[in-house]
Amino acid sequence: MSATDASARPGPPRPRRRASQSPGQPQGQGSPRSQGSPSADGAGPVSPTGRAVRRRPSWRRTLRRYLTVGSFIGPALLGIAIFLIFPLGTALESSMHKFGILDAPGTWYGLGNYRYLLHDPFVHTAAWNTLWFCLIMVPAQLVTGLGSALLLTKMRSASSLYRTIFFLPALVPTVAGVLAFVYLLKPGVGPVDTLLGKVGIEGPLWFNSPSWSKPSLVLLAMWSIGNTMVIFLAALLDVPSSLYEAASIDGASAVRQFRHVTLPTISPVLLFTTVINIIATLCLFTEAAVAAAAASGAATVGGGAASNFGYPQESTLTYPLYIYQTGFPQNLLGYANALAIVLFVVTCAVLAVLLRRFRSFTEGAS
Amino acid sequence: MKGHLRQSHRDGAKVARRHRTRLVGMVAIGAAIITAAAACTPSTHASKPIASPGVTASGTITFWHFFTDRESAAIKGVVGDFEASHPNIKVIVKDGQDDDKMTQAIAAGGGPDVGLSYSTDIVGKFCQSGAWQDLTPYIKRDKVDLSQIPGPVLNYTQYNNKRCTMPFLNDAYGIYYNKTMFAAAGITEPPKTLDELTADAKKLTKFNPDGSIKVAGFDPSFGVYENSAAHFAPMTGAKWLTDDGKSAIGTDPAWQDLLNWQKSLVDWYGYNKLTKFNATFGDEFSAQNAFEAGKLAINMDGEWRIASIAADKSKVDYGVAPIPVSAARASTYGSGYITGNVIGISRGSKNPEAAWTFIKYLTTNTDAMVKLANGIKNVPTLTSALNSPNLSADANFKLFLQISANPATSTTPPSGAGTTYQDDMQAFVDKWQAGKVSNLGTGLTQVDSQINQALSIAG
Amino acid sequence: MTAVIVPADTTREPAPAKPRPSGPVGREGLLVFVARHAIAIAIIVCALAPVLFIVLTSFMSPQQSLSNHYWPTTWHFGNYVDVFRKLDMGRYLLNTLLYAILATGFMLISSVPAAYALSKLKWRGRNFVFLVVICMMLLPPQITTVPLYLWWANFHLTGTLWPLILPNLLGDAFSIFLLRQFMVTIPDEYLDAARVDGAGEWRTLLRVIIPMARPGIAATSMFMFFYCWNDYYGPYLYTSENRSNWTLSFALASFHGLHNVEWNLVMAAAVITVVPILVLFFFAQKAFVQGITLTGVKG
Repeated sequence: MSATDASARPGPPRPRRRASQSPGQPQGQGSPRSQGSPSADGAGPVSPTGRAVRRRPSWRRTLRRYLTVGSFIGPALLGIAIFLIFPLGTALESSMHKFGILDAPGTWYGLGNYRYLLHDPFVHTAAWNTLWFCLIMVPAQLVTGLGSALLLTKMRSASSLYRTIFFLPALVPTVAGVLAFVYLLKPGVGPVDTLLGKVGIEGPLWFNSPSWSKPSLVLLAMWSIGNTMVIFLAALLDVPSSLYEAASIDGASAVRQFRHVTLPTISPVLLFTTVINIIATLCLFTEAAVAAAAASGAATVGGGAASNFGYPQESTLTYPLYIYQTGFPQNLLGYANALAIVLFVVTCAVLAVLLRRFRSFTEGAS
Repeated sequence: MKGHLRQSHRDGAKVARRHRTRLVGMVAIGAAIITAAAACTPSTHASKPIASPGVTASGTITFWHFFTDRESAAIKGVVGDFEASHPNIKVIVKDGQDDDKMTQAIAAGGGPDVGLSYSTDIVGKFCQSGAWQDLTPYIKRDKVDLSQIPGPVLNYTQYNNKRCTMPFLNDAYGIYYNKTMFAAAGITEPPKTLDELTADAKKLTKFNPDGSIKVAGFDPSFGVYENSAAHFAPMTGAKWLTDDGKSAIGTDPAWQDLLNWQKSLVDWYGYNKLTKFNATFGDEFSAQNAFEAGKLAINMDGEWRIASIAADKSKVDYGVAPIPVSAARASTYGSGYITGNVIGISRGSKNPEAAWTFIKYLTTNTDAMVKLANGIKNVPTLTSALNSPNLSADANFKLFLQISANPATSTTPPSGAGTTYQDDMQAFVDKWQAGKVSNLGTGLTQVDSQINQALSIAG
Repeated sequence: MTAVIVPADTTREPAPAKPRPSGPVGREGLLVFVARHAIAIAIIVCALAPVLFIVLTSFMSPQQSLSNHYWPTTWHFGNYVDVFRKLDMGRYLLNTLLYAILATGFMLISSVPAAYALSKLKWRGRNFVFLVVICMMLLPPQITTVPLYLWWANFHLTGTLWPLILPNLLGDAFSIFLLRQFMVTIPDEYLDAARVDGAGEWRTLLRVIIPMARPGIAATSMFMFFYCWNDYYGPYLYTSENRSNWTLSFALASFHGLHNVEWNLVMAAAVITVVPILVLFFFAQKAFVQGITLTGVKG
């Protein structure tokens, strides 16, 4: 499977291997030995006495090769079986039953849960909210991360101090950060609104307003952007300055240089962070839950506050929150599993689309 | 560039083929794992016969409850008394355990011998699934007198005729009113009907020069503090479920009465103004509580507020009264809403006999219950305890006792789908009070069908 | 994708250690300089304000923590002592350390070889497995919650942190991904040389790859450590019923009573949760940034 891949794909010239290569090894560009002959064997087929040992059966060698590879990848494969296949399989099976957590496995229900899903108005709200976050929060995070990284690259002095301070919010535990933001953005009496009031602007209701609650969460995400920023910073600093100099000699302005030199060079990193952030946004749970509970004034923060999910008016009800709500407080576990399966399928589809266009992701392995 | 495209088309086809093979592969693996998974899922336990009468229970049992701090200490005291009078039984207590944790533990085949839950939300699913054992055999065997328990309380501790819980204590709701503000506005009595409530609210409200609310006579917003559809329902006697467990929201006219009344008061304040005002409230369970801070003249709250006001050393001069009712239901004035704590035996309990002895002590022994109520400041669920002279109750607390014992008092009925019907209604009334619902009747019917559909996919 | 030829010397010190301007070259004036620093300072204010608020609240009295006064009128240093007294913070700290360190260690044991197999060994199905690893990264935790919880219950390990620690012995998807991306950038010459010398794959990994991959391994380890330290959902699921096994993050969120919340203590606990991470980060940031720089996410 994989060998034909490598041969068919045109790509940039790879560093050519020298003659130090031992005879037993393939060129890696598609050799007649379509089995993708091993690199695992070490020395070529010459015995210590110097006689060619061509008569060694290839199945034994293959076995040894697979055992070797297996010793490397085996635990991970087992992990995949237990922690991916097994839960997925169980979730799929559970989604076709109706039951609560206490009476597993419940009664068979076929596709009934999925049919209900299509008509459930909450699903539409939750899916829309999560989509909204993907479309708004992810670009905001990317722009903030890239922007602050860019800024850092321009600093001549005290850049490492700035860098540390910029990164600091990412270290704050999520719960504490959310609570801090809810307090800071308290309508009317919070510090931000007080400040705005002094300037004569009437601040919005932030976490208590259905139209501002999601943007407030976006602000929170932009605040804790440290990880993304550091990744961008590294990528930006890796762009060879020769490219910039060449461009400026050609008369390109700073903006054009950014567009035509910086962006293309860091595009793999951009893709990487986009994918990571989209995944995280699709699973957005803690921040939305804690913010809703804190803003609605309920004392139970962090767990057990499912009745406040989505405050206000389901504006912060993300898809994962809805899954939790249906599964546990509402005791509709079969349905919750159906929701989760749909989420997984959608996530895979999104990733497939992204990866199809940018297969450079899986490229590069020797 | 073009060559690259054609290349990617070919590769695309190859990738698609590979995806299909992969899919088949994954499904095959999945099917194999499912069989294994089914083997690993713990099965429901068959019910075992209980011991014959006269058996002395003994052993160690675990007890989980949700209280913390000061209230937890009160529980410890009563547990000590129990152990003293039942030297053969030892009780290990764990506090701070909420419904989720208990559910998880029981689902995993473990869980405490005796569990205490904050509300009736779990009664439906615990009774139905057998997560908590059916107590009827024990009650029959030991000839427990259930008549000592008030009627509404008995109702919410069972589901579909399966009594898997006993009532522990409950919280009763009434209104607290600011006597100082009442005097200043010339109001002599707390409101008894909804019309009186509206009139008083308007009189007591004060606005700031810029038009925003300074003090609200009564805040009708859903979602603030204890204001919810569930707690307001007793005002008009609105029913949640029909006798066969389906949603009654669309068919019971009492809901329309309630919601229309609520909206008219919201509109009088102005929804946006109210939202802004609500956002300035301090934390409900802190000394900055809006009622204690003088922002609300009348507020619906539970009996615990009495203890909180004392503990917070608030200066508010307050009185308590039952929840106002609609004019048509004036005869039911004095009733209200209760949230019952319930207690039961996990299905995985290794020592159900000792567990039952403990539960019997806590829920039917008058002195034990009085001591608990005094310590936690909740309302006892035994008539004998309610009337007991040892129950330390000032005039205010006595009112909540009366509310709890009133036969017209109600609570949210247990359901197999947990909090679904409450959540769905909550979402609807949030939209309703914001003015986003054009036709109330149609809207409520839609909620009905939503809830009924959700109930149909419940286990 | 534009190829960036990776120079043979992959151990070069990245320039960011020294302050130097980078990026598009252009004419700069005083105005631009001032503007840049002004923006930087504005960002600093936004970044630090919530942190400052958390710290200040941790010194307030319970009443003041909910009022509009943002500067403590009296400094209650005793809050921190209270937190250790009322909450078993010392124990939670130990639990969190145990969780983070063991999980990271186990992750390295399993994920480094796996990443090596996915980057440098040729075998059938390699790309497929890599895609599956990526799929694992995408898995919403809600799917795995219930089946895995019930599964762990079979081993009587619920109520402990082991269900969170042990799976790392079988690899962690995100770490495998990162490490693999990193290893891909290591030139094959080194491996070929080792193989010619007769070294088996394990030897190659241990003697050649790992020393060269140190920055990537360091970065991946730090990611894992941070994740475990701040993990809330995991401990909530598995240890909530057993107080003695709680971690810092979860304890922070659970610091409330049924009818009572003390925000000043909550914030003090938050500070205690962050400080060790800050210290760790301060000492390790060089390795961290180096690892991020050289991690082959560039492809």
